[in-house]
Amino acid sequence: MASLGYYLLLAAFVVCAYAAAISVGGARRRSRALIESGVGAFYLVTAIMAAASAVIVYAFVTGDYSIKYVQRYSDSTQPLFYKLTSYWGGLDGSIMFWVSLLSVFGAVAVYINRERHRELIPYVVAVISVVEMFFLFLMIVHNNPFSTYLTQNPTDGAGLNPLLQNFYMVIHPPTMYSGFVGLTIPYAFGMAALITGHLDDSWLRAVRRWTMIAWLFLSIGLGLGMIWAYEELGWGGYWMWDPVENAGLLPWFTATAFLHSVMVQERRGMLRVWNVSLVIMTFFLTLFGTFMTRSGIVQSVHSFGQDPVLTQLFTTFMVVMLIFSFGFVIYRMPLLQARNELDSWLSREAAFMYNNWILLFSAFFVLFATMFPTLSEAITGQRITVAAPFFNQWMVPIGLIMLLLTGIGPLLAWRRSTIENLRTSFLVPTICGIALGGTVVALGIPIWSSGLCFAFAGFVVGTIGQEFWRGARVRQQTSGTDLFTALVGLVGRNKRRYGGYLVHVGIVLMFLGFAGSGLKKHETLLMKPGQVVQVGGYGIRHDRIRVTDDGRKQMVTAEITVLRDGAELTKMYPARWFFRKHEDQPTTEVAIRRTLAEDLYIVMPQFEAGQQSANIEITVTPFVNWLWLGFGVLALGTLIAVLPETTFAFAAARVPDAVKAATASMILLAIVTPAAVQAQDGGVVSKSPQQRQLEQKLICMCGSSGCVHSTLENCPMRPVCHGHTAQTGEIQSLLNDGKNLDQALAAFVEKYGEAVLAVPRNTGFNALAWVLPYALGALGLIVIVLTARRWSSHPAAAVAGGGATQIDPALDARLDDELRNLD
Amino acid sequence: MSHKAAKIGVTSFVLLTAFGVLMYTTLGESMQYYKYVDEVVAQPATWKDKNLQVHGHVVPGSIGRKRDSLDYRFEIQRNGQKLTAFYTGVVPDTFKDDSEVVLTGRLTSEGFKATDMTAKCPSKYEAAAPPLGAPPK
Repeated sequence: MASLGYYLLLAAFVVCAYAAAISVGGARRRSRALIESGVGAFYLVTAIMAAASAVIVYAFVTGDYSIKYVQRYSDSTQPLFYKLTSYWGGLDGSIMFWVSLLSVFGAVAVYINRERHRELIPYVVAVISVVEMFFLFLMIVHNNPFSTYLTQNPTDGAGLNPLLQNFYMVIHPPTMYSGFVGLTIPYAFGMAALITGHLDDSWLRAVRRWTMIAWLFLSIGLGLGMIWAYEELGWGGYWMWDPVENAGLLPWFTATAFLHSVMVQERRGMLRVWNVSLVIMTFFLTLFGTFMTRSGIVQSVHSFGQDPVLTQLFTTFMVVMLIFSFGFVIYRMPLLQARNELDSWLSREAAFMYNNWILLFSAFFVLFATMFPTLSEAITGQRITVAAPFFNQWMVPIGLIMLLLTGIGPLLAWRRSTIENLRTSFLVPTICGIALGGTVVALGIPIWSSGLCFAFAGFVVGTIGQEFWRGARVRQQTSGTDLFTALVGLVGRNKRRYGGYLVHVGIVLMFLGFAGSGLKKHETLLMKPGQVVQVGGYGIRHDRIRVTDDGRKQMVTAEITVLRDGAELTKMYPARWFFRKHEDQPTTEVAIRRTLAEDLYIVMPQFEAGQQSANIEITVTPFVNWLWLGFGVLALGTLIAVLPETTFAFAAARVPDAVKAATASMILLAIVTPAAVQAQDGGVVSKSPQQRQLEQKLICMCGSSGCVHSTLENCPMRPVCHGHTAQTGEIQSLLNDGKNLDQALAAFVEKYGEAVLAVPRNTGFNALAWVLPYALGALGLIVIVLTARRWSSHPAAAVAGGGATQIDPALDARLDDELRNLD
Repeated sequence: MSHKAAKIGVTSFVLLTAFGVLMYTTLGESMQYYKYVDEVVAQPATWKDKNLQVHGHVVPGSIGRKRDSLDYRFEIQRNGQKLTAFYTGVVPDTFKDDSEVVLTGRLTSEGFKATDMTAKCPSKYEAAAPPLGAPPK
């Protein structure tokens, strides 16, 4: 099996080389046949990489521990789900996963653009193939995931690190990789445009959507990493400026800059050198980030270990890539002249430029500070480190300026803003900003930096609200519909712009989350049973320590009662889990009580079971959940901007009244439902010993994030957890029917399947249950899109049914014109 | 054209200088020297009362904790040179005999007063490679 995989990698390398060579040759000779052959070979690489991935996944599933990689990152007791995801658990596999993703993305990009951008395709194929060749070469000579033990095949694996056996760690790396890999595509198109000299804006059109998708993946990947750090690592925060985190942030800055400056080029034909340079830099930073974290040149708590060979290979590739790319930029400089000059420093394009400078400066600063220890050692021989406070000292003001610009940018007119339009457009946002900022400062929040952050947030929201309002009013007046329809139509007609504004709303929410973390209250102390402390308005009482075992791990849980004004608010269960084979690396199970206003976050880093005392770390952080909410809004906004034009075709039609009613009631339902769940929080019922025994043996099946891994008895989400309530109810009724323990257990297995049993516990199933909400969400989205398309195909019928006038094409055109002038 | 170039030149010069000065002053406040135990022990006078990160291994059997508190006293070593260290707070899981730690704090005449402790954990993301020749069990 291992040799098959290795030969597949070799084959992929050869085919890549062929694809690169034949495409360039075909393009130079203008031979359609050769180019087609190159594209065919390019698709073939995707197939080969899929086969190689299948081989390694097969090895993981069947437990082929003669392969070193499989032996190191999995073991026989691991649930199937984690066996599959061990694929990207280590360096060698993640490089292979990277190449596989790149081959898929590349194939899709080439397939979509094969007609529209025919002149670019051969060079796109060549550039992507060369990048793939580099990674394949890395695997073949140095990081072969298929290398085997020569003698004495081990019978079992070492097992994936328990920290990584977590849902977020399963989806975080592929999301990040998709973002990184996705950014290779714009680079390939940019290079193809530079090489061929087709430097009109057509390559930008080809990559605009790709960049947005890659950017979305990158943003979500960063968000997932933050959630993982917050929920798993147990230090109460989500970002510590660690080199590994920074590596993901660097290309995010430049990609964000590109998404903004691309608009200036489309509209005004300016910044053309700048844009192509940004694409090159973004790609370089994805490589550099990987290099920085994997080669050991930067010291990090993650410590990947030194690897001089990898360092050499990566450095060579990066240097060659930079020289080649910027060499072409300089060579093509005459073709990259701007078509316009900047008219005024008080214009939309100038605002985009400020935004770009700040983003680029952020990238530069983070890179500099991350590399500082390495640089100082190289220059002075002394390793001097800088820590998180240094990053914050710089990034807080930079972030605030960026936030303010988010609000100012849309208010400026293209080319030149007059005093008159400045006055009319700045009025409302400024009032919003001052009102919100004034309110929070009056409530006792310090002006630096949280108060300012709130003021700016108010300003930005004012701007965006005003944009939506004005656009919808104009559309309403010209098309004669109601405001709601006009709003939907507005977004549908100008998805990129209004989707972008929605992304800004997401960013604002995130900044409120950041502002909250500045107001954090933190307390660490040693608690004896019965002791009560006061932290941030909560009374925290440590009741006792309990030790349980479920066959895979030993769990030490602290029982904590949270009091407010003397009354019991809830119980929380921070724990330490000692997985078999990883007893020296216990995992920290954080207990979090989430509300929109603040999170109560409790960790038990140390305990003494004998004395029942525990070290308890309590953190109260306001607004954390706004951060996650912000990521959600950001994703929604990007999706609106990315979706194909036809998706919103229904917006041209009038939305029927019935639909409006249905939408409104659905929104209402969505708001009311969680409240109903909350309301089910019942009184305390005394439990029989049998019931307690059953609760220890059964796993809470509700599938929510807090519950996974826990038995009914110590489900951290109870008693508000609906699955918990249902299951305990069932236990009670079974016992009331006179069933004994085993019969009751059998009844549960029949109803929920094997997975309900705590021993043997099947995490795979639970993890699947986590996926379910996402799957349902996706399904819902598909239904919405399909419905939207249905409506759009019968606009006349719907309108006739409503007895309204059909939209006049001339009117429609005029509206479009006016909307355009609004910009 | 030359007028424009001059304007751009002056602007970038002013901005760069401002950033440089800002960077230099802020760096001075937050810089920490990163030293190994033996380097610090060799020249205590040089490193006294400076922001310091000290890297070393915990001397086996030296970890002591005051009863019912989070006050730790232990020794770290490298190449036979030892240094007494104090730390108050929650220690990382991997803090134990012989583990590799990086302490942040200041050197005083009594010993190293640490404000922060990071325990190196080589197997956190990359499982440690089994020693050569020894087949894993």
